[in-house]
Amino acid sequence: MNDRHIVKSYDRDLEAIQALIMKMGGLVEVAILESAQSLENRDEELAERVRKNDRAVDELEERVNQECARMLALRQPSASDLRTVLTVMKIGANLERIGDYAKNMAKRTGVLVQMTPIDGSAGAIRRMSMAVEAMLKDALDAYIQRDAELAQDVRMRDMEVDQMYNALFREFLTFMMEDPRNITACMHLHFIAKNIERMGDHVTAIAEQVIYLVTGEMPEDERPKADRTAVEAPRV
Amino acid sequence: MYDNPLTKRTAVTHEVKISARGVNVFYGENRAIKDVDVDIEDKTVTAFIGPSGCGKSTFLRCLNRMNDTIDICSVKGLITLDGEDIYAPSIDPVQLRAKVGMVFQKPNPFPKSIYDNVGYGPKIHGMAQSRADLDEIVERALRRAALWEEVKDRLSSPGTGLSGGQQQRLCIARAVATEPEVLLMDEPCSALDPIATAQVEELIDELREQYSVVIVTHSMQQAARVSQKTAFFHLGHLVEFGETGQIFTNPHDPRTESYITGRIG
Repeated sequence: MNDRHIVKSYDRDLEAIQALIMKMGGLVEVAILESAQSLENRDEELAERVRKNDRAVDELEERVNQECARMLALRQPSASDLRTVLTVMKIGANLERIGDYAKNMAKRTGVLVQMTPIDGSAGAIRRMSMAVEAMLKDALDAYIQRDAELAQDVRMRDMEVDQMYNALFREFLTFMMEDPRNITACMHLHFIAKNIERMGDHVTAIAEQVIYLVTGEMPEDERPKADRTAVEAPRV
Repeated sequence: MYDNPLTKRTAVTHEVKISARGVNVFYGENRAIKDVDVDIEDKTVTAFIGPSGCGKSTFLRCLNRMNDTIDICSVKGLITLDGEDIYAPSIDPVQLRAKVGMVFQKPNPFPKSIYDNVGYGPKIHGMAQSRADLDEIVERALRRAALWEEVKDRLSSPGTGLSGGQQQRLCIARAVATEPEVLLMDEPCSALDPIATAQVEELIDELREQYSVVIVTHSMQQAARVSQKTAFFHLGHLVEFGETGQIFTNPHDPRTESYITGRIG
């Protein structure tokens, strides 16, 4: 297939909506890292900044939706162009959700800095969020490079995030059993860990959109899942 | 998604109405159609798309032997209608064309009244026993072509006096009046405004209940809207033939993709 449209402005429009997604992706990546960093360093100022920056992500999503609606109405894209517009819309929604989770982490950081820190938890959460951020980066790279293999790799890596979440879940439970004064902090930390685990799911959804964009079909194989906290009692 | 009552445009496989095997068409030395195999199903709208000069109209005209009228044109290969070879010596092309009707790009009403334009075919094919029969056939055909309300008070005025869009619907009424089994349409809407186009598209959808419709169109969106099967022709080859939804969301051949997305192919 030829890369260029006969109507050049069509190419420009398609590139523009993808550039918006990349910009959103960049902001969300920063939000993930900075929210975890603010928690680890007990940095209220940084947490506040993360919360404020989320507005930019929301605005970008709104613009992506508007531009996509415009393209559908004015250009009636088909085949890979149609898939590009559809995936841009879905990825925009996923990124917006990830941004919300990062914002929520930053909010809880604001509460947690008032309390005694729980040993080792901030570091573990930092590692987990770095894993998700790396997945997101690869998913967005896979998008730009139209690399279904890399996207598939990202999908598989979500299992590692799930396992980290399971470990934290058990750890927090132990802390709470040891000393009820830990409960408030551990509840917040658990929500944070769960938020990151959900981010991983949204990154996985983005990777699946990349596969759809490239191949025209959604992956059919069952994705391995390792979040077992909802189906079995933890052994502590 | 095919259970959805909104989308009645499924590619339910119907019986094959017209089958083409190894079809080659020559204009003198020039091979315009190259080894085309295709099965056109009954009760289905099949769209032929492709750039100008790709052979889609030439191939369409093979299906009711319109190419017979061009001296230097020769058709090789096998085309069957309900299993019968339409190029067999025993086949009368006039009878064939009553079964396989055609609507052309430009409206070409006879220089006769609206009534006679529609009634002529049924009359010469002996479909009407009486004037009352013929009245009924004419009215039914005009209603199906969404023209009845506009012309019922002036059936005796000349067909050529109608507007372009009305003339085209008159030609469609004329084509359906003989109750063809297959209707071939060569760019039926290229001279019509969007309203008349929508009316013709609605008609095509209704005709599908009973007939097999084959439409050649330069409007990709029209092909996507009206057809259940789409065939993409390029340089005389049938490049890709498949369910319309698949062709327009996930074509398998890169040439199809380039063409339908408006890239230089």
